[in-house]
Amino acid sequence: MDNAAAFEKVVGIIKPFVKNQDAFAKPSEGTRIIEDLGVNSARLVDIILAFEDEFGIEVDDESADKVRTLGDAVQMIQRKTAPAH
Amino acid sequence: MQEVLSQALIAVTYYGLLGWLRYRRYRVPGLSRLRAEFEALDRDRRGPLLVCANHVTLVDSLIIQWALSPGWRLLVRPRWFIWNLADRHNISATWFLRTIGYLGKCVPVLRKGPPEEARRTLDKVAFLLGRGQSMLVFPEGGRSRIGRVDPDRIMYGVGRMLQQAPGARVLCVYARGVGQREYGDYPRPGETFFVRFSAFAPATTHQGLRADRDLAMQIVGRLIEMEQEYFAHANLDR
Repeated sequence: MDNAAAFEKVVGIIKPFVKNQDAFAKPSEGTRIIEDLGVNSARLVDIILAFEDEFGIEVDDESADKVRTLGDAVQMIQRKTAPAH
Repeated sequence: MQEVLSQALIAVTYYGLLGWLRYRRYRVPGLSRLRAEFEALDRDRRGPLLVCANHVTLVDSLIIQWALSPGWRLLVRPRWFIWNLADRHNISATWFLRTIGYLGKCVPVLRKGPPEEARRTLDKVAFLLGRGQSMLVFPEGGRSRIGRVDPDRIMYGVGRMLQQAPGARVLCVYARGVGQREYGDYPRPGETFFVRFSAFAPATTHQGLRADRDLAMQIVGRLIEMEQEYFAHANLDR
């Protein structure tokens, strides 16, 4: 999956949790999920679980803790969906 | 250290805070019945206890501790003096609050802090529960801004606490002033508090984050049921 497709899916998953729609109008990889989009930090777990369902991956606590921006989410998904060598 | 000091000064802390509650003319009807219920529950109890409550004012943990046990019983049953997670900002504003928080067995929590901070707090809770202690948590993570149990605010950390403390029992507590319409700092003077307990045994077949969420949602679901029972009979209790 290319970055653009993953980014689009990430944005779609996060959309229901976004409180700051202005910041969400022009999302970028640097957009911070909690600070910029106003997502309740408690809902990050729901978002991570939605990533697991959507991309068929498993996210451990350490990886989940590192997801701060939309770009972090995309990179994590890319790493976990990359074919093993 | 905190446990030793708080236990040594338990009478001062408990009766000092009770004096303040009485100064505010707060009342909890049926105290004897509630305490007998809790004592009966403890008779059957082995291992740690996780007390999960709704949260609408800053005095909720005091009211719950008051309802569970008289001060003199805490002298002989230290685990009835319950640890509680408290917002660091609320208990660190003045030296007096810091002292009360420390002696009152508060574990400070940095709300909206980084994940590492949350993990440190969970580790502390796991340590205490692992020692068979009792811990009060508010699964909503703070006072409900809508004045009712708010499922949108559930913090799944309570589920993680249960997973980290196998064998811990859960006691759901619904407490609120009968005149409390919305969330606030302090209930009105002369407030009468409704308090009910419900022993609860959540279980899950999931693992990891999904288990955290499942367990937390079951607990909050029970609190919502208790709230519905309260409002269904609210007129009778007032």
